[in-house]
Amino acid sequence: MSLVDRIDPVPPKRIYRWDLDKTYLQTDFDSLRQLVRTALQKAGEKKAVPGAAALIRELKARGDSRLCIVSGSPTQMRAVLSEKLKLDGVEFDELVLKDNVSNLLRGRFKALRGQVGYKLPVLLESRARAPVDSEEVLFGDDAEADAFIYSLYADMVARRVNEPVVYRVLEASEVYPDDITRIMRQWEKIGVSDPVRRIFINLDRLTPPAFFGKYGPRVVPIFNYFQAALVLMADGHLTATQVVKVAVEMIQTAGYNLLTLSNSFQDLMRRGLPMAQVAQALTEALSGPQALLNSVRPVPDILAAFTKRIAALGAIPAPPPVRDVDYLSLIDDARPRDKKGKKR
Amino acid sequence: MAKKSKAAQTPPAAGPVRPVTIAFDVMGSDHGPEEIIRGAAQLTLDTPHIHALFVGDRGLIDHALSSIRHNAERVVVHHAAQFVAMHEKPAAALDDKRDASVLVAAQLVAAGEAEALVSAGNTGAGVLACARTFKLIPGVKRAALATVYPTQSTRGEKDDPFSLILDVGATVDATADDLVAFAVMGAAYSRIISRNPNPSVALLSNGTEAQKGPPRVVEANARLQHVKGLRFIGNVEGVDIPKGTADVIVCDGFVGNVCLKMLEGVHETVMALAKYAYKEKLLWRAGLAMLSGGFERIKEVTDWEQYGGAPILGFDRIFIKAHGRSKARAITNAGKVAAKAVANDLARSIQEGLKAS
Repeated sequence: MSLVDRIDPVPPKRIYRWDLDKTYLQTDFDSLRQLVRTALQKAGEKKAVPGAAALIRELKARGDSRLCIVSGSPTQMRAVLSEKLKLDGVEFDELVLKDNVSNLLRGRFKALRGQVGYKLPVLLESRARAPVDSEEVLFGDDAEADAFIYSLYADMVARRVNEPVVYRVLEASEVYPDDITRIMRQWEKIGVSDPVRRIFINLDRLTPPAFFGKYGPRVVPIFNYFQAALVLMADGHLTATQVVKVAVEMIQTAGYNLLTLSNSFQDLMRRGLPMAQVAQALTEALSGPQALLNSVRPVPDILAAFTKRIAALGAIPAPPPVRDVDYLSLIDDARPRDKKGKKR
Repeated sequence: MAKKSKAAQTPPAAGPVRPVTIAFDVMGSDHGPEEIIRGAAQLTLDTPHIHALFVGDRGLIDHALSSIRHNAERVVVHHAAQFVAMHEKPAAALDDKRDASVLVAAQLVAAGEAEALVSAGNTGAGVLACARTFKLIPGVKRAALATVYPTQSTRGEKDDPFSLILDVGATVDATADDLVAFAVMGAAYSRIISRNPNPSVALLSNGTEAQKGPPRVVEANARLQHVKGLRFIGNVEGVDIPKGTADVIVCDGFVGNVCLKMLEGVHETVMALAKYAYKEKLLWRAGLAMLSGGFERIKEVTDWEQYGGAPILGFDRIFIKAHGRSKARAITNAGKVAAKAVANDLARSIQEGLKAS
């Protein structure tokens, strides 16, 4: 960072907001034993989801973006999480963790598991500090309520939901009254804009993608971060070369191969995401003299695999329709997993 | 029960097991595409090395797949606009429908896009699609449709209660050469799928003596006694099929099909009689109720869905014909059987067996 940047940092054009557990990190805490093991893990023992670190590095490479992490991990884990991110070469701008000791001491037991009352005000506070014209891309997972919270946040900032609905949603989500007040105050401070472009949901639990259809096409469930990279390339956040770098990391560190990557590509096409132009740009990037994947497999094989996946589908599917989100009908999604009435 | 995370289900590093892609013809079965897709999708969750290639109407596949738990990294879809219905005549249907899902799936397997085919659609169309697309293994003149039947005795390291019968309809007028080839193919299949290292093989005839039966059976009997590596136990009679006297029973397609239908008929008649008895007398009903636990156990042990499907043997590629009434579980198991046959190189095993004959 130059001296000028330190005194007057360039305002971010893009903000990437990430959750940590099950989104960036491969974490299992479905049982008490797993929870304890996760808490005691050292930075070097923690494993990132394949491709996540490479994706963040590439998204940050343009220099005009900000990485904001909001995690439900306790504040006591700040040192180990910071170290893990550093080990992965990930530089963050914000890292907000949950103060569960305070919740415990104040007897706020619902807040220990609650996601809406914790994440929503943090997101709004961070947004209040961001330039009005900055775009946002959010990353969460299917384990808790990320699709719900992120969508509500996006629609609140864009004023697509009104106050009475937000009140009812927060009350139904068992958010404490002082947190509701905090959320409403923060919301008032934020200038009207429509910054959230995409919400990626990492399918850690392999929830069927149609489950997220009710949140509209802004929410994109992904089976891996190669898929996120492809969509972000279509959205203009990454170049073809950067996408290839994400793929290379997944191949080299997690056993991904041409079959799994080309299948992931076709999965997005089948869900109506605009992949045709991406395929063309990737072809050009791979055919160039700096072809990154040459070290892994001959480029013609790669091109043939992706071309076959497109041809196999016949006509290009239509994109999914845009729809308003009915938060009151989705309130079950906002509850902690063990309290959800519905089974996925 | 909490669902396992993706990382827990799928060890990311490439293991020693090589990936196997199974083509699933999703069209034309009695329960529709969703059951086929559900069964194959389960494979992508359970078995990290199996990839599913769905062939059929893309709209239907995508619609079903979007709400079924699966791992998209191991799924690929190939659109085929047509399919052969159960009532259609196979040859005419395949002549008319060049984009029929079963034919397209077989072509994809032949082209190396997948290594095996599973179909629960029209049996004749499946066999014919393979005949038109795959090559016969050197030494095999005609393919055989094999099926499994629950028996009194068990076999192999997993105490498999099913014996294998072939041919049950693919080759109606088999020669002695064909019967010898069927015996070798059946033994190879039993070794691999039932994990039965030395399966007993018998010819189905009208008497156990070597001279009994039509000339082709007598000749086959004489030749099979000299096939190296084959435990040929001679002739067996129809009564030996449910007893499980042999692990592999060989016959021509005409006899095999008649036997199979008769065994199915006996099963249906027994069930009908049990229902009649249940309604007729309170005492009989009580007796049946007391035996219900035992019946359930027998049903579990002899559940055909655990076997998944019947192989078409003799081609250089694997084709598992699942029952038209197959539900998801049967399809999952048919996929596993297909993957096992591929992983153990069934075609090569058959070829080596035939060289010894």
